[in-house]
This record gives sequence, structure tokens and C-alpha cells, in this order.
Amino acid sequence: MLKVLAVTCLISLVGLAQKAPAPKRDLNGTWEPLRGLDGVQPSGARDMPADGKPEHELPYTPYGQEMFKKNHPSNGPTEVSPGEENDPGHSCDPHGFPRENLFELRATQLIQNPSQLVMLYTYGRNYRVIWSDGRELPKDPDPHWFGYSVGKWKDDYTFVVETNGTDSRTWLDNAGRPHSEDLIVEEQFHRVDKDTMELTTIINDPKVYSKPWVAQNKLPMHLLPPNFTLVEMMCSPSELNEYNKRHGNLGTITPKK
Amino acid sequence: MVKLGRHTVKTAIICLAFLAAPGALFAHHGSAVYDTGKTMTTKATVTDWLWANPHCLLEFDVKDDKGNVVHWTAEVSNPPDMIARGWSRKMFKAGDEVNITMVPGKNGQPIGRISSVEVGGKTYTGMGAPPVPGADKK
Repeated sequence: MLKVLAVTCLISLVGLAQKAPAPKRDLNGTWEPLRGLDGVQPSGARDMPADGKPEHELPYTPYGQEMFKKNHPSNGPTEVSPGEENDPGHSCDPHGFPRENLFELRATQLIQNPSQLVMLYTYGRNYRVIWSDGRELPKDPDPHWFGYSVGKWKDDYTFVVETNGTDSRTWLDNAGRPHSEDLIVEEQFHRVDKDTMELTTIINDPKVYSKPWVAQNKLPMHLLPPNFTLVEMMCSPSELNEYNKRHGNLGTITPKK
Repeated sequence: MVKLGRHTVKTAIICLAFLAAPGALFAHHGSAVYDTGKTMTTKATVTDWLWANPHCLLEFDVKDDKGNVVHWTAEVSNPPDMIARGWSRKMFKAGDEVNITMVPGKNGQPIGRISSVEVGGKTYTGMGAPPVPGADKK
């Protein structure tokens, strides 16, 4: 299978030499991480996974460390048994933002108008509205699952989005990394050419992390055909109950050291 | 002479990674409940197919040499991930005879995670395998 993928990939090299240039200030279209599941990260943020490696240790503040201890994920070095985890997503609470980007980023449709960029996500059929009419972030926003987002063009090919007002009940990623309601997320949508975009996501939450860190670094995404239909992917409480009833007796595990 | 651009070189690196990778491991939930050092292959008769989030479940009966029947439940990933591997809601029906390769649970219960399944003369890859290019773009 891997060899088939490699051959397919090598054939596409021929096409790369003839890539059409990116249109200016235009992100319209349905985009998917270049490798289908590169946006699905069960072990934490793609470029800062919870794999126990020293270079991926997050710069927690003492307050952040305490928050993290309260989260019991079912993936990563602090993984617990299915019956002991407290992942809010596993009871069908919204993943919220930025977890939607850092855990379940699948094919995503971007619709742009003069004052907004609208993102339609596959997971949960969720959407975000990013205001691009020049407004600033709200000063003291009420928290929302997906926060409040504003964006502007840094240059003709890079759209920079800032989000605040997120809900601290959500996790940053699937490894249970926490955040406070002071969180500000920066996303950079950089259109490389007609068919390629790179997404960078930066976490800045001084209450929880002593310095900003890059959760996604230039995640490559490719443009899907204009007639592509997003696949439905919902967290249904009844389906979840059925799954747990039929397959919940998975035993216990010893957390990794 | 062909001049390679920055992105051409990047793609070439990704291609080489495909060649070198031992097999992408993917799990929505933790994989620690499975005995990943073991694989078992068995003939089975499908009793039910749950196409659902967070993971799809195949239920089936396995008969041993003495005629004893054991009922198993084994999972794959969620519907979108399985569509990307060519699976569908209608691919199984009760009574189908299948060959299943799976990773069993650690606790000795008849549960597993499907690596591949053969049904109707076709073999489908399960969890732990990369998606099939284009399978979800039809």
C-alpha cells in the first residue's frame, strides 16, 4: 500500500512543476490536509504532540500544570482507561476552537465575502465566522465554544486570524492540553499556489503557558475539486451510547510513565 | 535540464517518507487496551454492522473446531475515515461470511480492532492502515 502511495506521489511530481499561481487575497474552496489524516491528531497537536519527547514538553506555568493534571485524556503519555477519562468531547460536548483545528481538521470549506471568511468544518458540521471588515477583537468577550475571530490580509497570499473569547471547558487538543479564557490563537492561512495552502496555528495563553508555542507549523492543505461534498461526521449521543454498550468493556490500562 | 522548485523537493521528501514508513498508526481512542503485539485471522459470520461515531463496530460469530460459537465485537475508525478506505454503511449484512484479521484486546474478552476484512471477494484495510487515495472523492 505504501509503495502504491509513493508511486502516486511521485507521479504527481510531474504536475508540481506546472502549478498555477495563487490568486490574490482568495481562500475560497474546500481544503483538506495534504495527507488525508494529517489534520487528525489523536496524540495532541501535530507539531507539539504529547509523545514524552523533551522537545515537545509545553512551557506550563504552575497554574497551567495544575489545570493539565485535572484533564484525563485517552491518548498520550497521561492516557487513562476508557472508564477513567474525562474528555469533554467523548460526551459529545463541542470540541470548540482551537481543538477543531488541532484534533479533527478534515476537509474544510472556506467561503469568503468582503467582510467575512466562513469556515465549514467536517467534524460536527461546525462553522466559524471570521470577521475581515477591520474590526478589532472584543476587549472582554463572553466565552463561546468557538470564540470570536477577526482576520486581515498580511500580504496578498497570507490571511492572519486572531481568536479570543474561547471557553475554558474545551481542551486545546486530544491530549488534554488546557487553556484559560485569556487564550489568544493566531492562525496564518498562507496560499502557496492555486492548489496549496499552509496553515500555521500559534497558542498564546500567558496564564497557562509561559510563552507562545506553535501547535501547527505550515500544515499543508490541498484544494479539492469544486464539486466535492463534505462528509457528515457528527457526535451523536445515541450512537456513542450504543458504541459504549457494545464495546465499552475494554479493561484497564496502566498509564505510561 | 529540469529545475526543481521548493515545493517539488518537499513533495519528493513526503514520497520518500511513504516508502520508508512502516505503516501509519492511527487511533481515535487510545490503543493501549489492545495487544498490539498480536494479530489473529479468523473466518466469521456477520451478525451486525454498526456504522456510527465515534467508531464503527462489526459484530460476528466465530465457530471453533468443536462447533462452539463465540460472539465477537471489533472496531474500526469513524465513518469518514472508513469511507476514505473504501468502506460503506451497506458493505455488510447479517449472515455474510467474512475473513477477519484483527488485533485482540488485552483483557481476553472477544473484542478486537480490525486490521483488514475480506467480504464478497474484496479485501478492505481497517484501522492502522493509510487511506486509499481518492476513495472518498468519488
